Amino acid sequence: MSMHIPHGRWVVWLSFLVAMLFQIMPLPSLVEGWRPDWLLLVMIYWAMALPHRYNILSAWVLGVLLDILLGAHLGIRALAMSLVIYVVVLHFQRLRNFPMWQQALMIASLVCLYHLVIFWIQFVVDVGSFDVSLFLPAISSLIIWPWVFWMLRRVRRIYKVR
Amino acid sequence: MKPIFARGISNQFRLTLAIILSVILLVANDRLEPVRQSISSLLSPLQYVANIPGAVLDWSAESFATRDMLKKQNKELLRQQLLMSERLQRFEHLRQENDRLRGLLGSPVHMDAKKVVAEVMEVASDPYRHYVVLNHGARSGVFVGQPVVDAHGVVGQVVEISELTSRVLLLSDVTHAIPVRITRNDVRLIAQGTGELDELELRHVAKSTDIRVGDLLVSSGLGKRFPEGYPVARIMSVDKDDGQSYAKVTAQPLAALDRIRYLLLIWPDENELPTEAKAPIEAESTEVQKAAEANQ
Repeated sequence: MSMHIPHGRWVVWLSFLVAMLFQIMPLPSLVEGWRPDWLLLVMIYWAMALPHRYNILSAWVLGVLLDILLGAHLGIRALAMSLVIYVVVLHFQRLRNFPMWQQALMIASLVCLYHLVIFWIQFVVDVGSFDVSLFLPAISSLIIWPWVFWMLRRVRRIYKVR
Repeated sequence: MKPIFARGISNQFRLTLAIILSVILLVANDRLEPVRQSISSLLSPLQYVANIPGAVLDWSAESFATRDMLKKQNKELLRQQLLMSERLQRFEHLRQENDRLRGLLGSPVHMDAKKVVAEVMEVASDPYRHYVVLNHGARSGVFVGQPVVDAHGVVGQVVEISELTSRVLLLSDVTHAIPVRITRNDVRLIAQGTGELDELELRHVAKSTDIRVGDLLVSSGLGKRFPEGYPVARIMSVDKDDGQSYAKVTAQPLAALDRIRYLLLIWPDENELPTEAKAPIEAESTEVQKAAEANQ
């Protein structure tokens, strides 16, 4: 029964906060387009590790916060993030058992989905023009995913997050 | 997550809920401005923290500047100051003359607006839009719709405020348009953003309009949002294609929108001023009006 008592919740939310910080951190304009989607990656990790605790609705809340931080039309990233996390929560067991490279590829395609959904809603409600550079974050997220994964796994084990 | 929902609620249900909530947000976006403002006030410390690395880099660049560089910079600034003060003397004379003439004509005299210098915070914004974040917010009396200029010309307007920060929509954003006039002949136009930082588009310009490459566009003050007379852009190209019903005119913003650092927030109209700043300027304006009346 001890599995059902949440533990180390603050660690998770702190990781979200740090991810948000990375998300708005200034970058040189050369690499600006390559910014990995930190918040999404961290959210995917927790949804994979503890799918019954951190899932679609937490993703929705984070999406709203990110929309506000970026000054975007409300609800865009909320919707995109909930959709992606839905896919993750459906397949969390398969994702967990993939070898790292396969997992990273899956994450990259999820990041593509995320950006496509954002572009699509943006196009419908507001303005937006399609550009292949939309998918650059998928590549950088692919590269960065193993490190995010290992780090968060260490954090989870050290602080015994359940 | 708090166990608001009993365990075992299906993921499909959660997703449906998330989608419904998102659609509500998407539709009600404009009405939720107060909510957004309070949440972004709560989040603004995050923006200040994110700004730290850039600020530290700046600070270290400044403190490691060599004596030689400082000397050079100082010299250049002195030279500029001399030039500026000479221009200012002439300007002062012209202003007095202008006030007298306006007094003779019985038109209202122009007033000095309140200004505050704001710094651009280096934080990322929505990649689809042209935004910058400033380090002044509602607490400094910033309001939505406030005009923002830099040393060269108009930069944009405030679209969103929180307690400590504000977000400025740049001239070049696709959704931004500003009423302008040509200084040479007072032709009135509207300059719209194109999504490119260095290009504005002038819409619905008749082919017979007297407009040339190099013309200076200043704000016309007609939209009651931007005060009159601030430089906005310079005409880059005029293309009068016979197949089109209007001439295709593009202009380049005078403010270097890609590397703005310090900006001026302007409180243009006395009736739009926040209360604490209102009193002195109003007193001044009534004095000037009295003087104008006396001149009549």
